[in-house]
Amino acid sequence: MKFSTRELVTMAVFGALWGGIEISLGSVLHAIKLPLTGLSLTAIGLLIALIGRLFVPRRGSTFFIGVIATVLKLFSIGNILIGPMIGILTEALVAELILDIFPKPTRLSFMLAVAGGSLWTLIQPFVTGLLIFGRTLLPIWLDMVDQGSRLFGLGSQAALWIVLALVLLYLAVGAVAGWLAWSLGQMVSVRLRGHSPTTV
Amino acid sequence: MTASRLHTSLMHGAPAKPLIGSLGHLLIFLWSLAAILLTQLRGGFLLPGICILLLSLLYPFALRRILRPRWLILLGILLVTSILFGGGQPDLKLWGVPLSSEGILVGVRMTLSAIVILLAADGLSTSMDITEVAGLFERLGLQGLGFSLGVAANQLPNLRQSSTNAWHSLRMRGGMRAQWWRGLQLFLLTVLTNALRRSEDIVLAAEARAFRPDRSRAAPLRIGHLDWWLIPVGLVFLAGVLVLT
Repeated sequence: MKFSTRELVTMAVFGALWGGIEISLGSVLHAIKLPLTGLSLTAIGLLIALIGRLFVPRRGSTFFIGVIATVLKLFSIGNILIGPMIGILTEALVAELILDIFPKPTRLSFMLAVAGGSLWTLIQPFVTGLLIFGRTLLPIWLDMVDQGSRLFGLGSQAALWIVLALVLLYLAVGAVAGWLAWSLGQMVSVRLRGHSPTTV
Repeated sequence: MTASRLHTSLMHGAPAKPLIGSLGHLLIFLWSLAAILLTQLRGGFLLPGICILLLSLLYPFALRRILRPRWLILLGILLVTSILFGGGQPDLKLWGVPLSSEGILVGVRMTLSAIVILLAADGLSTSMDITEVAGLFERLGLQGLGFSLGVAANQLPNLRQSSTNAWHSLRMRGGMRAQWWRGLQLFLLTVLTNALRRSEDIVLAAEARAFRPDRSRAAPLRIGHLDWWLIPVGLVFLAGVLVLT
C-alpha cells in the first residue's frame, strides 16, 4: 500500500476524528456502561472512516484509518482497554474487506460495510472472550440474551428470537450509518469547492 | 565555537542501550498472549501466576494501576459472574448459594488471564513510543503510517477545539432545537469540512519540506541487551509448560 502525501494526511484527519471519538465519547460511554455502547461507537467510527474512503478511494485506506484510530486509542489516557482496540481494528478490517469486493465506492457498498462492521460488535465477545479471556461461551451467550431481553422486553425463553432481533438491529443500524456516510461524504465534497470527493 | 559545540555533543554520546528495548517489550506482550492461550488449552494456574509475577516485576506501574479500586471492582465483577455462570454441576454451597468447584476454577483462571492481559497491554503501551509502534506497522506494509500518526496526534487538539466551537455556535443559534437531526448533520459537516481544509495546509507544509512517503524511513526500534535472548527463553519456557502439563 503506497499512498501519496495528500492521501496520508486525509487518512490521518479521519483517523484522528475516529480516534478522538473513541477516546472522548467512547471512554465516557464505556465508563457509564450505557447499553449498545459498542454498536453506537462502531456506527459513528465507521461512518467517519467511510467518508474518508470517499476521499481516498483506494484499497486499504479504511483499514489504514482504523489503524490510526487504534494506535491513538492505545496511547490515549493510559486506559488499558484491549477489547475496544481489537474492536476498532477488526471493524476496520471487516469494512475494508467488504468495500474491496466492489470495484468502486457505492452507497450499497457503504451500507454493507458498516453493517458488517456493526455485526462484528455482536460477535466479538465470543471470539475475544474465548481466545483471550478464557471465558466459556455460555456466560457470554447469557449476557447477550439478557441484554436483548431487557432491550426488546422479551422473555429470556425466546433466546433465538432475541438473538435474531439483535442481529437485525445491528445490521439495520449499520446500514443506516452507511447510508448516512455516503450522503454526508457527498455533502462535504460539495461544500469543499464543489468537486467530487476523489478530486478534492 | 563550532568545535566546542561538536565536542559537547560528542561528550554526551549516544543514549545508553536499555536492558529491554521496544522489541523486548513487544516480545513480552506476545509471550503473555501465548501463555494465556496455552492456559485456556491446558488449564492450571501456574502459567498465569508466573506471568503475573514477572509482569509485575517488569511493570510495577501497571500493577499499581490495576490495584486501583475501579479495576479491582471490575475484576471482582468478572470473577463473581464467572463463578456464578461458569458452568458445572453445583457441588458446594457458600452462604446458601449453590456453586460448582469447576465454575470457581474457571472464574479464577479467567480473572488471572484478564490480569495478565491488562498488565502486558499497559506495560507495552507505556514502554513503547508512539513512533515506534508506527514504525512497526510500517515494516508490516503500512507505509507512511508514522507520518500519518504524527499528523493525527497533532490534529487531535485542533479537532477537539474546532468541534467544541462548532457545537457551541450551533447551540447558540438554536440549531439543535427544532430540527435537531438537521443540526446534527450540519455539525458533522462543519467539523469534517474544517478538518479537511486544515489538512490542505498540512499537505502544503509537508511538500514544502520535500517530504515524500516513498523516501521516508520507518522509525528504528530500540533494541535492548536482552531482547534477542527473550525469544529463545520465551519459546523454551512455553515448550516446557506444554511438555510438563
